[in-house]
Amino acid sequence: MEERWYRSASGARIALRRRQHSASCRELAVRCPRLRLRSLSAATSAAWLAAYGLFVLTENSMVLSAAIIITLVGLIIYLHFVKIDQESLLVIGSLGIQVTSSYASGKESTTFIEMSQVKDVVINEAIHMQKVIYYLCILLQDPGDPQGVSEVVPLFQSSKPRLDCLIEVYKSCQEILEQRKTVPQSS
Amino acid sequence: ENSPSPLPERAIYGFALFLGSWFGFMLYLIWAYVPETWLFSLGLTYWPQKYWAVALPVYLLVAVGIGYILLFGINMMSTAPLNSTDTVTDNYAKKQQQKKFQEEAIPALRDIPISEVNRMFFLPEK
Repeated sequence: MEERWYRSASGARIALRRRQHSASCRELAVRCPRLRLRSLSAATSAAWLAAYGLFVLTENSMVLSAAIIITLVGLIIYLHFVKIDQESLLVIGSLGIQVTSSYASGKESTTFIEMSQVKDVVINEAIHMQKVIYYLCILLQDPGDPQGVSEVVPLFQSSKPRLDCLIEVYKSCQEILEQRKTVPQSS
Repeated sequence: ENSPSPLPERAIYGFALFLGSWFGFMLYLIWAYVPETWLFSLGLTYWPQKYWAVALPVYLLVAVGIGYILLFGINMMSTAPLNSTDTVTDNYAKKQQQKKFQEEAIPALRDIPISEVNRMFFLPEK
């Protein structure tokens, strides 16, 4: 079990934690920086100052209560649906790959991909907004065409690690995926 | 046959366009500045409203400004999302034929699959 610090594509510090459960099972987790108190208070003060300015203009006290309710509801929605705390990848050699995202409110959403559907795990480059970024993705196999790719599943979408972190994750995944070729699959 | 050099016909077209655009510009200035009563006394009663002499250039400039933003937006909308197979392959790469490997010859040009490229870049062979 080891943990190392890297940077995300936007410059924030992220931590990569690697655990080896057995010879063919590995877990890689990327932890994003937590919500900082100063950015939360800055956003809240800005919203409430704007609402107070509106109240001074319109003399309607509903604006103030509306601003308070919107701030609270918005914070809860942000923590539950937007702010991702940790994204992890669990690679089990003969079984499949499980992708988990845990949100700041404690919610976890998982996706499991069977090993027979997985063609490869690669680092791909693509244009995203105005940048070209590297991102890790799982290539799913096309059942009709053994050489074709039917779907691309991007990983670590919200933490967006940079290339050095992605190379570590890629090497760890490839060590397990290579065992597929040496050990013949029973279909 | 299709050279960009000057020709007599091109000179005539150019001069005709030059005269035409000067005439059009003078006509526009007359329409915009000469008072309506003077135009009526000359018998020209069915010209468009002078409002359009200001409105059309404004429409044109706003359209140019919106065009910049629209082009930027269309570009962003047509880039493939991160989860599409267009970032990895396309029709030409899927249908390419494997050429035979010849000794002492430069290998034929082909689209290398992304798994192979990754292995070459990121897994150093010891």
